[in-house]
Amino acid sequence: MIVCQNIFKSYKHGGGTKRVLNDVNFTVQQGDRIALLGRNGAGKTTLIKLIGGVEMPTSGKVVRKMSVSWPLGFAGGFQGSLTGYDNARFIARIYGCDYDGLRAYVEDFTELGRQLKAPVKTYSSGMRARLAFALSLAIEFDCYLIDEIILVGDQNFQRKCHYELFEKRGDRSLIVASHSNEFVKAYCNRALVIHGGRATPYDDVNEAVEIYDKL
Amino acid sequence: MARFGLKQFKQGWQQQLRVIHALMIRELTTRYGRENIGFLWIMAEPLLFAGLVAIIWRFWKGPQEHGISIIAFVVTGYIPITLFRHGVARSASIFTANSSLMYHRQIKILDFVVVRFIIEFLGGMMAYVFIATILIAFDEFPVPADPGLLIAGWTLYALFSFSLCLIIAPVSEMSEVVEKLIPVTTYIMIPVSGLFTLASWLAPGPREYLLLSPFVNGMEMMRKGIWGDEITAYYNIWNPIGCSAVAAIIGLVLCRRIRRTLTVE
Repeated sequence: MIVCQNIFKSYKHGGGTKRVLNDVNFTVQQGDRIALLGRNGAGKTTLIKLIGGVEMPTSGKVVRKMSVSWPLGFAGGFQGSLTGYDNARFIARIYGCDYDGLRAYVEDFTELGRQLKAPVKTYSSGMRARLAFALSLAIEFDCYLIDEIILVGDQNFQRKCHYELFEKRGDRSLIVASHSNEFVKAYCNRALVIHGGRATPYDDVNEAVEIYDKL
Repeated sequence: MARFGLKQFKQGWQQQLRVIHALMIRELTTRYGRENIGFLWIMAEPLLFAGLVAIIWRFWKGPQEHGISIIAFVVTGYIPITLFRHGVARSASIFTANSSLMYHRQIKILDFVVVRFIIEFLGGMMAYVFIATILIAFDEFPVPADPGLLIAGWTLYALFSFSLCLIIAPVSEMSEVVEKLIPVTTYIMIPVSGLFTLASWLAPGPREYLLLSPFVNGMEMMRKGIWGDEITAYYNIWNPIGCSAVAAIIGLVLCRRIRRTLTVE
């Protein structure tokens, strides 16, 4: 279970303060698949970062009672100047898991072959997505935080994700920020519409998508 | 309950060791790569610095000053100050530079400061041992009279440098002006670092002021440990310990506060 209690987040810049999240409350149960819906800049990525502990809320707290992945997104989590293998080794070390097993899984899942010996900064966003998913799936979290990135992959990658994430690990929780209504309707059972700093939870995903479309 | 607490502590400790280990390897590979001598570069910088400056001084001022070898004197001064200057320089903007690692919750921002300082600390120590061994072979450096005191002095000197890094790291994120002022400040501090002088060479008045500096106390201990009865040293071990404690508390509080506002890409 993850509980977000009275979360406020403001950023200071240029003398002013911008409040991005304004008293956000919600709970994620084991097995929940929650879509974060909102326009660009509404605060979806910020919320995911707060849940993942990458940034801290200005006030309020996030209580994590299950293991939560790092946010899988376009940025962060990797050292660009290191190779795919080096990053995998680093992740294996800090999460205390066996590197040989992790490497085998990453090679199989990513199908990147020799590219894994190249620095991550030379990867396309699709390739980064493959690597990020492979690593976090190999470590096995109870809850995965996914920021858009699932959609940058090709057909083959999406099929694999579908199998690994929704079939093999159907009991896991998922928090996913996405602009794809089809994806949200197909895979999520709850939704959170973020608008004007407020987050409104919906148990009916179709209703949430309709409201989001009108924003 | 007590056993539970101990178990948690053990797990936390193991996690901490794993993170430090992983970060050290990552830092060394990103900074020095795997080419030529690889991570041995960590001692190259202090080694070159101390060695070359010592040679310049040797030709400029002659073989001895106040009856002790000038090469050995300069080396014993420069290696610690390199630890301090590099430690501080590496701590500036350290959180921004490592922000992509904050995606992993088990990595705390303090780990960055600790890891970079350990690298400088080990590099300085390796350089010290290396250059001293060579100079002893050429009879330019005395065999340390009291190695324990030398190590104690080095440890206290490093402890205070580390405590300052704990302050510099968060402050450099709060203000860019501070970041710009760091190089000139560390340079201006050289006269009060004990690098060029032994306290006993000074008149009692100025000596008292110089001994307020934790660096001078550490340096005096190190030099007493090397030359033993050949020199008179003035030091008080509580000065660097006390100053470090105060600086570390301020630094830890600042680190905790800055973490709340750090923006990660």
